[in-house]
Amino acid sequence: MSESNENVLNATVRTEFGKGAARRTRRAGLIPAVLYGHGTEPVHLALPSHDTFLALKGNSNALLSLSFDGKSELALTKDVQRDAVRRTIDHLDLILVRRGEKVIVEVPIHIVGESAPGTIHTVDLQTVRVMAEATHLPEFIEVNIEGLAEGSNVRAGELTLPTGSTLEDAEDTVVINITVPRASAEDLESDVASAEAGAAAGDAGEAETGTDEGAAAGE
Amino acid sequence: MLIPRRTKHRKQHHPRRRGDATGGTTISFGDFGIQAIERAYVTNRQIEAARIAMTRHIKRGGKVWINIFPDRPITKKPAETRMGSGKGSVEWWIANVKPGRIMFELAGVDEDLAREAMRRAQHKLPMKTRFVRRDGGDA
Repeated sequence: MSESNENVLNATVRTEFGKGAARRTRRAGLIPAVLYGHGTEPVHLALPSHDTFLALKGNSNALLSLSFDGKSELALTKDVQRDAVRRTIDHLDLILVRRGEKVIVEVPIHIVGESAPGTIHTVDLQTVRVMAEATHLPEFIEVNIEGLAEGSNVRAGELTLPTGSTLEDAEDTVVINITVPRASAEDLESDVASAEAGAAAGDAGEAETGTDEGAAAGE
Repeated sequence: MLIPRRTKHRKQHHPRRRGDATGGTTISFGDFGIQAIERAYVTNRQIEAARIAMTRHIKRGGKVWINIFPDRPITKKPAETRMGSGKGSVEWWIANVKPGRIMFELAGVDEDLAREAMRRAQHKLPMKTRFVRRDGGDA
């Protein structure tokens, strides 16, 4: 349940806009970003790519301390646009926060321990909404599932939050479910179907697939 | 095998292949996933083979999600047929997968088992793929 520290980033104010300018910014090793909040005019920034990547690695709620134009502002990431294949950050939306201000953020759940032998855990809620001070945001919330038996679950209200944080989700929301893995009907059916298809492949030859209307071949 | 229950039209044009995936590029349900890094038409047989490879290796210990669906029919004319006389008959059902798409997800198993199960599944797929974790790490 570690808490985030400030990451200092030296930003520059962008003066040219559009996709051509954004691409030039990225080629120069910077990330285009926009900073807004508290009713202020949006400020268009360029952040150092590598430092920003490291600051946000594994912690989407990292508190960023931005210095630009001779002033310093605290910000949280509101939205991150990533390249799906290369994983690089394409653009950042940053929201201004003040020291001592309370904000609502989504905090990921980390599982510790193993449930009872023969059972598996399913995480129904990957993140929980938490209200906390912007300078003391939890990086993650640990949930211990050691020895939990089949049918038991962990609800949002049972989570141990760090001091100063309050839960914003409904307390009875199921976060983790402990179940015994069972072969689903679909698994069994498709296994049987594959076996049958393998056996029938010889005599069926190039059997027509999808004759009309999509040939809903059973389930 | 995955196949649409009902389609509006029996035969379609070939799906467009250009561009990258715009949605389904992050792990939504499980802890680990297989992400496409090339584009391909993935048939329902390949999806099924990958699923079976994965579930057999984890011995049904975890939970598998299939995030792609073969909803596009591909037709083929019979061999040694003269051109014309209309479009051929539907031969395959495919999912049009573009780079970045998370195709399979897995939860409820440890990372080593997930890696091996997904490695086996990756061999059944027609394009380059990579193993990804929820926290953003890749193989």
